[in-house]
Amino acid sequence: METFGLLLDGVFTSLQWFNLALLIFGCLIGLFVGAMPGLGSVNGVAILIPITFIVPPTAAIIFLAAVYYGAMYGGAISSVMLGIPGASTAVATVFDGRPLAVKGEAMTALTAAAVGSFVGGTVSVILFTLFAPPLAEVALRFNAPETFALMVMAFATFVGLGGDDIPKTIFSILIGLALSTIGLDLITGKPRLIFFNIPGFLHGINFLVLAIGIYGIGEMLWTLEETKGKVQMSKLSVNMKEVGRAFGALKKTLMAMNIGSFLGFFVGILPAAGATPASLMSYGITKQLSKNSKEFGTGVPAGVVAPECANNSASTGSMLPMLTLGIPGSPTTAILLGGMILWGLTPGPLLFTQEPEFVWGLIGSLYIANFFTLVLNIALIPAFLMVLRIPFAILAPVIFVLCVTGGYAPTQSLHDVWLMLLFGFGGYVLRKLDYPVAPAVLSIVLGPLAENALRQSLILSDGSMGIFFDFASKPIAAIIMYIAIVLLIMPAFGPLYRKIFKKTLSKA
Amino acid sequence: MTIIKKLALVVVSLSLVAVSSVSSAKPFSPKKPVELIIPAGQGGGADEIARLVQGVIEKNDYASKPVIPINKKGGSGGEAMTYVKKKAGDEHTLMITLNNVLTTPTNQPELGIDFFNDFTPLARLITDTFLVWIATEGKNTAGIDTFDDFISLAKGNGLVMGGTGSMSEDELLLGMMRGQFGFDAKYVPYSGGGAVAKGLVGGESDFTLNNPSEQMGFYQSGDSKALVMMTPERNPAFPEVPSSYELGYPDLEYYMMRAFMAPAGIDAEVEKYYTGLLHTVYHDNEFQTFNIDDGKLMSWLEGYGLKDFLAIEYDKHAVIIENFQ
Repeated sequence: METFGLLLDGVFTSLQWFNLALLIFGCLIGLFVGAMPGLGSVNGVAILIPITFIVPPTAAIIFLAAVYYGAMYGGAISSVMLGIPGASTAVATVFDGRPLAVKGEAMTALTAAAVGSFVGGTVSVILFTLFAPPLAEVALRFNAPETFALMVMAFATFVGLGGDDIPKTIFSILIGLALSTIGLDLITGKPRLIFFNIPGFLHGINFLVLAIGIYGIGEMLWTLEETKGKVQMSKLSVNMKEVGRAFGALKKTLMAMNIGSFLGFFVGILPAAGATPASLMSYGITKQLSKNSKEFGTGVPAGVVAPECANNSASTGSMLPMLTLGIPGSPTTAILLGGMILWGLTPGPLLFTQEPEFVWGLIGSLYIANFFTLVLNIALIPAFLMVLRIPFAILAPVIFVLCVTGGYAPTQSLHDVWLMLLFGFGGYVLRKLDYPVAPAVLSIVLGPLAENALRQSLILSDGSMGIFFDFASKPIAAIIMYIAIVLLIMPAFGPLYRKIFKKTLSKA
Repeated sequence: MTIIKKLALVVVSLSLVAVSSVSSAKPFSPKKPVELIIPAGQGGGADEIARLVQGVIEKNDYASKPVIPINKKGGSGGEAMTYVKKKAGDEHTLMITLNNVLTTPTNQPELGIDFFNDFTPLARLITDTFLVWIATEGKNTAGIDTFDDFISLAKGNGLVMGGTGSMSEDELLLGMMRGQFGFDAKYVPYSGGGAVAKGLVGGESDFTLNNPSEQMGFYQSGDSKALVMMTPERNPAFPEVPSSYELGYPDLEYYMMRAFMAPAGIDAEVEKYYTGLLHTVYHDNEFQTFNIDDGKLMSWLEGYGLKDFLAIEYDKHAVIIENFQ
């Protein structure tokens, strides 16, 4: 239990008044950048890095980790209240969080998001404390074939995501995949699909541009058409009965919490994946395994809990490859890693033994940050709910401005703003034609990861697909691949198969 | 005082202000935040140096306005170079370089970048070194301790090399070594130096040609070791690693330059200001210590020396690319 003692030390380190003040300040900044569309934890942490040169490294990482964590909570707020994903990690939260808010149950959605985040964060910190060294070994052995198998599994779970119309879902996935191939081809080093030689296409299509376009602009067009501008938000009363009801709804989300926490953590520790794929995959798998999977997308608390649990769990998980292997598990940890190097720390296998105070101070601070963001969030829910009292005529231009700044902020190019408007219109048309849009959003996130892993694997195997099914030399890849195939054909076998599967699951 | 007198006073004082602002034409200093364009993604080597420069400037108040790093990683530097080219005459834009600024104009002629006329080179601060790395317990490289042993192993067996992306520095370097030593390797591109290092230790590749900082953690833990550094002399950060000159391969010399450029068409005053700012950063204690500990070479170069250097390097890379294809 030596690690436990170290963790306790870490918790006390972050409770020192200076560190604690930084931590709470960081949580608040995180909540804000998370809630602002386009400003995610990546930008937040990148902007704040220079500030951390003036405080000791442990205090600096506590501050930045609090920003990172706060952003995971904050992203849910605009996803639920405005229907615009506040950060890439909160896109899956829109799927059910927004319908809940429209139904008048925003309170439930926000509570589910806050509690889900807390559970995910807590479970992952415990997993990290107990299993960090062996998990680092797993991450080290998780190479290209394993990554590709995992991506196939993610896509398989999403075939079921778009409802019962599988051909339309596959069409939507393919649109996302096609868009994800724009930009630099890593394998040949040449640019691809640079339409009209416009330089803006060289950096590819930023996933947030698509997500904000489809959900922010598309949703706004949709609402305008549906209601002819006369949006009546249901009256909301914040009293103890409502609060009790919101917490009561969480009882049914136990499975979502489990899936979100464990899957989120596991995906988080894999290099280069991070919290965005983790939240999308958790949503997909929870939906597939749920008894009432048909209701997902219409506003069920489990649909909010799963991705929110997963994104917090994954953000802790992604600290693991950063600290032990020196490779970032997510874009934000890439910046943190840069910061660590500048503070004079060398991430790698020796960091745990050479700088225990730093490592466990960080982990301990995650625990404390988790607690404080939960308290802050629950306390601020009445303030967030005020948004719903604003008339749509005022809210719509605000949403539009937020979308435009959100599209501009990540790359700071106007090119992306035009693209976002285009996607918003395209997304609206797709919705009119009853195509699901979520699979396209997923594909543009996972597409590049899957493509690179596939091509790296095929280079290694001289073009043989056998590398994914070889139990002898790549057991992990093969097992995941077979699970993926089962998941893929499950919806095809229809309700019969699902019935049998549910029975065994409910018995277990 | 009458109104006329008041007015006269105002006029006089205004004209005094005007005169003083003309006569003492102050030297240039930035009037708004300076964009520092990084032609690579977040967390890479160029990004690291750019953020270090930003931090050093901020901490010591070396500049009147903040420096804001912006990553434009698209198209192997193509996106960043196109952006800076369009900013001709802009006094608040800088770009840090990787070697991809030397190869991308040749590799992607459709971008229409004229390396020698579209940018104003300011200074080179650092050169980063390259080493041949293997895993200490690699399945194919176990027992290999010297570079010569490695070459004979590589000649007989098709080894796998992990690298940072096609046509990037390390693949060109592999191309050079192929011609020089007569071995070939299967090149697997990863998405960054960190992932390359992990692929090596995780057993997916047999060797890498990484920069020191990217492999440092695994080097210190003993999980990977270096066989040769491609420099004339040994480096104090890696005292036991022989240089390529020592081993009798003086042709095996290659560097990554970390220089700074401004857009074309800026005034000499502006050029002087930024070069001076970079010079201050270069001599900053923290900046020096960080880079030396990291195995980098401090190699200030400016003015005509820098222009000559860039011209030579540009031609050298054109030849490497030609031989490569």
